[in-house]
Amino acid sequence: MSFAIEANNLGRTYKTYSKKEGILNSLKGFYSREYTEKIALQGANLQIEPGKIVGLVGANGAGKTTLLKILSGLIYPTSGTATVLGFEPWKRQNEFLKQISILLGQKNQLWWDITPSDSYALLAKIYDLDLIQARKRVDELASLLHCRHVLDTQLRRLSLGERMKMEIIGSLLHSPKVLFLDEPTIGLDIVAQKAIRDFLETYVKEFKPAIILTSHYMDDIAQLADQLLLMSQGQIVYNGTVDEFMQSSDLKKKLIYRFTNSLEEKEIIFSSAELSKVLAQIVAEGDITDIKVEEVNFEEVIHRFLAKEHSVL
Amino acid sequence: MRKSFIAFWRRNIAFCKLGIVTNLEYRFNFIVDAFVQPILTVGIEVLLWLAIFKTAESAQIGGFSRESYLAYAVWAPFLGRIAISWMYESMMVEEVGSGSINTVLTRPISFFEYYLSQMMGYKLITTIFSLLIPITASFYFDLPVQYLKIPLALSLVIFYLFLVHTMSFIISTLGFFLTRVRSFTLVKNLILWLLSGELVPIDLMPAVMKKFFLIMPFSSGVYIPLAYITGRADIELILIGFRNVSIGLVIAGTVSYFFWKRGLHEYTGTGA
Repeated sequence: MSFAIEANNLGRTYKTYSKKEGILNSLKGFYSREYTEKIALQGANLQIEPGKIVGLVGANGAGKTTLLKILSGLIYPTSGTATVLGFEPWKRQNEFLKQISILLGQKNQLWWDITPSDSYALLAKIYDLDLIQARKRVDELASLLHCRHVLDTQLRRLSLGERMKMEIIGSLLHSPKVLFLDEPTIGLDIVAQKAIRDFLETYVKEFKPAIILTSHYMDDIAQLADQLLLMSQGQIVYNGTVDEFMQSSDLKKKLIYRFTNSLEEKEIIFSSAELSKVLAQIVAEGDITDIKVEEVNFEEVIHRFLAKEHSVL
Repeated sequence: MRKSFIAFWRRNIAFCKLGIVTNLEYRFNFIVDAFVQPILTVGIEVLLWLAIFKTAESAQIGGFSRESYLAYAVWAPFLGRIAISWMYESMMVEEVGSGSINTVLTRPISFFEYYLSQMMGYKLITTIFSLLIPITASFYFDLPVQYLKIPLALSLVIFYLFLVHTMSFIISTLGFFLTRVRSFTLVKNLILWLLSGELVPIDLMPAVMKKFFLIMPFSSGVYIPLAYITGRADIELILIGFRNVSIGLVIAGTVSYFFWKRGLHEYTGTGA
């Protein structure tokens, strides 16, 4: 099996300057500075097949973006090895860069002062594409995303949702074999989020790129990801499918209840086998006026898993 | 080989057009940069030279007439505007500092080439528009300008721009190590203002300093081309200018390559 992305024992440490509060310490820092090392990523191993979407999930500072930056060639690792489509990413060879794309949801990658159509024409020249073919591809992608009507409007005059659609077209114009999506739905309304998710799902089925997707919206991950990578404090703490992850979790049920004379709803998450025990426990605490049992959703399981990992690591 | 050569030009002409389109979009900034700023500088310099000649005991200073200095004063600020790249330098510095450079680093283009072509596009329109003023003023006041020499003089300025851009590139790569490097730009621009001869014609410098200034490549930005078109120097000095800029490019190119490679190792992908 040949993998689109492979990493072994990948790590990255950042050196940061630490300064104590106050003007005196600022003056002291002028001639003598204290640097501390922060491990952003350590011992990361992964293998991703072509045509798969990998959901990368973790709290802020967990190391997701550092991993993306290394694999897309933006930064060098301090340890380990990685190949993307057979290339060492940080060497940034043109043959490698022509086959990848990175979409940063919080940064514009198209040109602010010109129309998306002009940006795509420029991108076609950067990637040395046939202009007629590129135009045809823009047309196809814009039809899929229902945004043909804004192609000739300056980027800066578009709404956030429209802009993100334009960015997605720009990142797919050269048919990348590997795509890094960092928060592609951030700040978008539910309708736009769903439109982008549906589009990505269709696109991957048809064109089979390998995708690494980070998102704080668990709906993105639940709908799109074939493989789930959970990160905590710079380490990959889970690597498997979403279904396997849900099955492996022993926290499956949520009991929501309210005591008589109280307006506050309380909840307990527990494994299915513990239902009788949990019920007995809350009945012993007082008179219950309202009670319901629900399946725990993906987002809650992830949060609890990561919180547990965080306290363990 | 031929295919990649065509792709190179296709890409760079597109960047060049991008530089033109983007700058014309911000038309007031363009007008101030290409016209207002040099006109104000011309006004100040002309007044200064008129005052100097009024109080001077001789009709010539350093062997040149009042008209010759007025021609210098009218042309120097405009050539100076063409031969400087503060705007693109600040954009490059900002890209490195803010992490916007990530967009360039993950595409098959070079940061140097991307900004060089954009700057050349911008300089092309700046040159076309802003040179109309000194040419018109020279005709109107019958200043000693040899118009046929302008194309060769301008080609030296354009060649010098490669050096200016390489220095801007070096300063922007410092952003990988130091984050905030605006003061370097300021100091560099002040030094170039003096060494290029925009502030004071190099003829007026003491002999040792004049020799030093002419050895440096920076006089090729303003003094040498201007001395050539106003008849202060002949083609030999222009050729010296091309040689000096070539040497400067080799040195600055080597330094920039080193800083770029080291900088990428230090880079943390800010903002992504």
